[in-house]
Amino acid sequence: MTASPRPTRPRVLAAMSGGVDSSVAAALLVRQGYDVVGVTMKLFKDGGDLPDRPCCSLDSVNDARRVAESLGIPHYVLNLQDAFGRDVVADFVAEYSAGRTPIPCVRCNTFTKFRDLLAKADAIDAPFIATGHYARVADGRLMRGVDDNKDQTYFLWGIEREVLSRMILPVGAMTKPETRAIARELGLLTAEKPESHEICFVPDGDYAKVLERELPAGAPALAPGPIVTRDGTVVGTHDGFARYTIGQRRRLPGGSSEPMFVVALRPEDRAVVIGPREDLLGRGLTAEGVNWLVDAVPAVGTSVLVRIRHRASPVPGTVLSADDVRFEVALEEPAYAIAPGQSVVLYDAQGVVLGGGIIAASRRVLPVRAA
Amino acid sequence: MVPPAPIYLDHAATTPVRPEVLEAMTPFYGPRFGNPSSTHRWGREARAALDEARERVATCLGAAPDEVCFTSGGTEGDNLAVLGGWRILRDHGKKAVVSSPIEHKAVLQAVHQAAKEGAEERMLNVTRDGAVDLADAATKITSGDTALVSVMWINNETGVIQPVAELAQMAKAAGAMFHTDAVQAFGKVVVSAKEIPFDFVAVSGHKLGAPKGIGAFYIRRGAAIEPLFFGGSQDRGRRPGTENVAAAVGLAKAMELAIAEREAHWASLEQMRDRLEARLLERIPDAVVHGRGSKRAPHILNISVPGTDSESLLMALDLQGVACSSGSACQSGSITPSHVLAAMGVRADVANAAIRMSFGALSTPADVDRVAELFPALIAKARGLSGVA
Repeated sequence: MTASPRPTRPRVLAAMSGGVDSSVAAALLVRQGYDVVGVTMKLFKDGGDLPDRPCCSLDSVNDARRVAESLGIPHYVLNLQDAFGRDVVADFVAEYSAGRTPIPCVRCNTFTKFRDLLAKADAIDAPFIATGHYARVADGRLMRGVDDNKDQTYFLWGIEREVLSRMILPVGAMTKPETRAIARELGLLTAEKPESHEICFVPDGDYAKVLERELPAGAPALAPGPIVTRDGTVVGTHDGFARYTIGQRRRLPGGSSEPMFVVALRPEDRAVVIGPREDLLGRGLTAEGVNWLVDAVPAVGTSVLVRIRHRASPVPGTVLSADDVRFEVALEEPAYAIAPGQSVVLYDAQGVVLGGGIIAASRRVLPVRAA
Repeated sequence: MVPPAPIYLDHAATTPVRPEVLEAMTPFYGPRFGNPSSTHRWGREARAALDEARERVATCLGAAPDEVCFTSGGTEGDNLAVLGGWRILRDHGKKAVVSSPIEHKAVLQAVHQAAKEGAEERMLNVTRDGAVDLADAATKITSGDTALVSVMWINNETGVIQPVAELAQMAKAAGAMFHTDAVQAFGKVVVSAKEIPFDFVAVSGHKLGAPKGIGAFYIRRGAAIEPLFFGGSQDRGRRPGTENVAAAVGLAKAMELAIAEREAHWASLEQMRDRLEARLLERIPDAVVHGRGSKRAPHILNISVPGTDSESLLMALDLQGVACSSGSACQSGSITPSHVLAAMGVRADVANAAIRMSFGALSTPADVDRVAELFPALIAKARGLSGVA
């Protein structure tokens, strides 16, 4: 173990998943003189079905520990399985059962990392918490990461605003290639670990397997139901609406004159509604469960940049209404497949995250309002 | 500021190798390196040392030398007894393996494995104070169908001393084999085959100041086990593999020292444990000391403070230089809820706050004083009360 020089800066609890980004984050903080304490969260049970997960597998924990050892910092494994199961996995299942398409990473950040893990930081007198997120915090504001391809602010909109002042996101100011270069330069064993875009607790990207495991037999979300067109014509059957996502084209009956897509899920009658591509176009959306990360709720008419999915470029839009719990925005250009349950994040022109919410509905036609 | 010297309060997990033990072992890592199975001079020298070590270990256990096997440690001894014993006895038509839910995983998992191989698993009830319930045992250790009874001597999480003498008698009366995991007991209580009619006993070296990777396993004459390993004829075929001569010599030394020092050691540990317990209960009146109503070994204090969690406390203690533990840790190192406290009926939130402090060779009264100050301060912080120190 390399003995680090005595830290000169405050204690930081560094979440280390065993991946390259959080490894470099911890390494940079050590180099900057912080008193770094590494932790790896165990969020779900090791299962034979999840051998090579990006996090939580034994291999990942071992990688994180080996990096911490090489940095000469203490490392602990924290068991957050119960809280993660309750706040993230249960919601994931409930959302799919309600015909929506959830993003568990948002709730993991909001509740597991930047609330529960923060409580662990309090317990060890660490004023700061660090992660390997590609995002920046400046002047108490959350900002897009420098690397446009990697920016992860889309997953961070839900955190308590007060937490921002305690967050250190060392790789947010770097591009991914720069992060890797530093990992190589430091000889970190995680330097060449491949990227993962999967949801950590979903095996092989097959989320239906998780639903099958978590839901009781015969749950409506996984029970057969009709595939219908908007005018109500039944054109086929499906094996559970939760297996379908807005915008999906696979596994739909053929025979239409034009390509058909899933345009809506209707849990009431278990229907999967299909339509032509143009039915997927949304000119605006409403959001609920909103969290603002700036002083004032944006005024009606404010120009914003709107992101409706990770790695999609934000598109210009206008705030139509906004309060503490919901907002509505109009999009300058229509967007495809705006899926309820996904997140919407609003930015200003400088890349500051104004806030975000859960998409409640897509608007195909915008309401006419008095100017 | 120079941080204060670290405090090791985890002797139930492992102990440092004693200097006398290291000295006794050293020649066998050097000139006396021979294989005891070899017939030449080097082999004979090693054989002599191994034979002598076996005799000394046997004496320590009130046993004959042919009743002692050297193993890799407690886990292997437990597996030899439970699985090795069961696999012989099943051929005699006995199907029940009786054990307790507070056993070390080395016994519990071996019992589960026996169940997979056809055994009927019978778990004994445990009192709220962490002792196996003898009245329940009387109904479950039954003549004719009980193959094996395996109950630990001293629980590794609570220190509660189990009624092994009574259980061994019950097993004997029922015609069943009796095994006890004495990993925490050896050196604390008298572990003698002359006093208690056990058939198998597992002892671990590294809890006694011998190295990790060596243990003693007692098999009463006439008791049979199926081996876990196959190979040479070492240890009468019960434990094939070239013997770890140096570690066996070290184990003999450590066991002898533990017996010689047992009573004085008990008194000193008990004094420190009781002092810390009293001071903590005085400062934290709602703290729960697990197993307090039972006769306990003097080296373990397992305490829960409601409204805290052991994971955070262990980190905070470690970062202050104080090494403790909680229930069992899984392979990744994360803390899992204690099966021992659960079996005692401890409420989950209280069990999840459990901190085990275990005393031993490195412990001093000064450690007690420092922890008696530090622990309540960390508790106050964890409970969100600032300014209390």
